[in-house]
Amino acid sequence: MKSLISHLLGDTRTAILAVLLLRPDEPQHVRELARLTGVSPGTLHRELTALESLGVLRRKAVGRQVFFAANRECPVFEELAGLARKTAGLVDVVRSALLPHASRIGAAFIYGSVAAGTETSRSDVDVMILGDLPFADAVKALAPAQASLRREVNATVMKSAEFLRKRRAKDSFVSAVWKAPRLWVIGSDHELG
Amino acid sequence: MSLDNLARIGQLKGHTASASETLRLLASAERNLKDAHVAGISDETRFDAGYKAIMQCALVALMASGYRPATSVPGHHQTMIQSLPLTLGVSKDDWLVLDALRRKRNVNDYSGDPIDPESVRECIARAAALLATTRQWLRKHHPHLLEKPE
Repeated sequence: MKSLISHLLGDTRTAILAVLLLRPDEPQHVRELARLTGVSPGTLHRELTALESLGVLRRKAVGRQVFFAANRECPVFEELAGLARKTAGLVDVVRSALLPHASRIGAAFIYGSVAAGTETSRSDVDVMILGDLPFADAVKALAPAQASLRREVNATVMKSAEFLRKRRAKDSFVSAVWKAPRLWVIGSDHELG
Repeated sequence: MSLDNLARIGQLKGHTASASETLRLLASAERNLKDAHVAGISDETRFDAGYKAIMQCALVALMASGYRPATSVPGHHQTMIQSLPLTLGVSKDDWLVLDALRRKRNVNDYSGDPIDPESVRECIARAAALLATTRQWLRKHHPHLLEKPE
């Protein structure tokens, strides 16, 4: 089922706001925001401009790079951040947990029963992380998400090249993971197509 | 939860450690750690060997502390990992990783999902570190358990 915030604001706006509101002191570069949320640049640009003109976000140009961050001065900042914190869906929570390591993550997605929608309230959350992140860092980063979701979060870390090679070689595990439904946490089908 | 409380809920039993069993387990952990480095066998078997060394370190520390796991009770692997901060003083962060390795092994055992190379690397590194910690801890707190019996 959709999270409350996704139902109210739509998946795209929720993804953008969850990244920026759950970590209000970490401005994000527009291109990085596109990569993290998997939202297309055109849509992202439109959303960011609208949210900035409404005062929800603030825009900051550093040289030629443009960053966006949550605007703490916004009269409803606390309410919006609270909404994100309290009702954000599983994907938003997992993404937020991985953000500090985003530079070492090429892509990440949830697979298994949660992604297939066949989970029970006690199902583990299986996260595939493609990149150069050591397993231990993934586990430590995901620990708070585990606590707030009240579910075990199992990480599998693989180098992107290794994942693509195994997929081409029809490795049974990677093929099965790839054929099954997935929920993108970082990136989108484009990058791994 | 303290070791005492784990015993009270039936997860642990009392035990008196001996030097011979301690040395036997440490030697076995050493062999398993060596096997975990062998190339040409599957990642899951290497992972299993590293994981076994971790379990043996936990067991040595637990026995030296006066307890052993109640193996008839389900979840004794979890209890062994849980005991590490209480025996060897393993930090919260290190404990999280060891517990994630335990779950990884569990998933592999029951689903056949293969173990990825990154998890094997982590498992072996953790086993080696834990074995060193265990030896150091024994030297400091239970030196008599490291003395070869005549």
